[in-house]
Amino acid sequence: MAEEAGPHSVQQEVARLRAELEAVHGRLADAYRLASLGRLMTGIVHEMNTPLASILSNSAVIERGLETLEKLLAEAGGPAEAQGRRAAEILEQLRGLAAVNQTACERISALIPGVKAFARVEEAEPRKADVNAILRSTLPLANSEFRSRVTFETDLEKLPEIYCYVPSLYQVFLNLLVNAAQAIEQQGRIIVRTRREGAWIHVSVSDTGRGIPPEDRPKIFTSGFTTKPVGVGTGLGLSICRQIVVDRHGGKIDFESEPGAGTTFHVWLPLEPPGGAGG
Amino acid sequence: MSLNSKPAVLIVDDEEMVVTSIRAFLKLETDYVVHGFTNPEEAAKFLESHLVDVAVADYVMPKMNGIQFLARAKHLQPEATRVLLTGYADKQSAIQAINELALFQYVEKPWDNAALLLVIQSGIERAQLIRQLRDKISELDMAHTSLKDVQSRLLRAFM
Repeated sequence: MAEEAGPHSVQQEVARLRAELEAVHGRLADAYRLASLGRLMTGIVHEMNTPLASILSNSAVIERGLETLEKLLAEAGGPAEAQGRRAAEILEQLRGLAAVNQTACERISALIPGVKAFARVEEAEPRKADVNAILRSTLPLANSEFRSRVTFETDLEKLPEIYCYVPSLYQVFLNLLVNAAQAIEQQGRIIVRTRREGAWIHVSVSDTGRGIPPEDRPKIFTSGFTTKPVGVGTGLGLSICRQIVVDRHGGKIDFESEPGAGTTFHVWLPLEPPGGAGG
Repeated sequence: MSLNSKPAVLIVDDEEMVVTSIRAFLKLETDYVVHGFTNPEEAAKFLESHLVDVAVADYVMPKMNGIQFLARAKHLQPEATRVLLTGYADKQSAIQAINELALFQYVEKPWDNAALLLVIQSGIERAQLIRQLRDKISELDMAHTSLKDVQSRLLRAFM
């Protein structure tokens, strides 16, 4: 078969390859979103367990308390002094439990913005948001699962709101937090810091984990590179984090690490997005 | 057989709302004395000088987990009954606790109040029976010793 050589067919070939590459990229991004969603669900389930347990117990106690109150107050001729005191005691307790229930429900509700953010289809337009608020929402998701081994500390400076793709930033921060927690073998600390530095917002996640050995450093942001066991790591996390931070937000991402001592990941997000505010 | 004092239950969970909920439930349904702690170190210190019948600890706690705490409790008050609260993913740790700590029961979160009450009730019964048994054996020992004493004096008198 005689093939037409020449720039036209080469151009076609390049265009075809580019389309294929974009398709594969798209599928990788989808796979990462699914993995992120799985991660999010794990965090949520851990975090919801305690407030739910409390609400369930309190509700049962409130029901029983009300029954007892009913009996006490239905005594013929009205309650005697001792019963009146007991009734007042029970009322006080039930009031306290209702307040605890309120707190427990608020804790569960606090998870909802994170879920909504993840579940939203990739936003086409960035919107104004407080990076500290995004961080605060992701913390309980990692915290609940790892808190027996890891203490989470925050050092957040007041930040101006910036235009950003909120669901993507949720994913980035959750990814960095979980990486940090998984790097810690026995007990350890994670410190999350935010600072405004000139025209940038600087977010850092430091852990006291096992660190990244020198030979792995150049590969850290490579798609498919992972040191986690099969089923735990997909190797997509940091490469997509970089895409989100650098390509979508015009930011920077870097890290420093000392094997045996720990690792710190740095994310810089510009106060002014590329191309001016509002997209 | 009358009890000297009301049964005492120790609850340790780093989550304040869990301690509040369990304490409120026991206060409404029982006359047990409930000691609640969110700091396992403080709870362990408390056990050095206060007898309890049951120690209930949550597994997932920072700095000292439930198994480590119950190991301390076992050392300080071996007759007190040990109960572990576990989350849905902690079955393996429950098994470890049963083996290493002579754990009495484990209760999964979220717990059912009636089931928890049964466990605590049985735990109190067990602790008090063990203590009474230990006291009786002690008494028997002393009685045995003084009987032997009487016996040897009798023998000396008649030999």
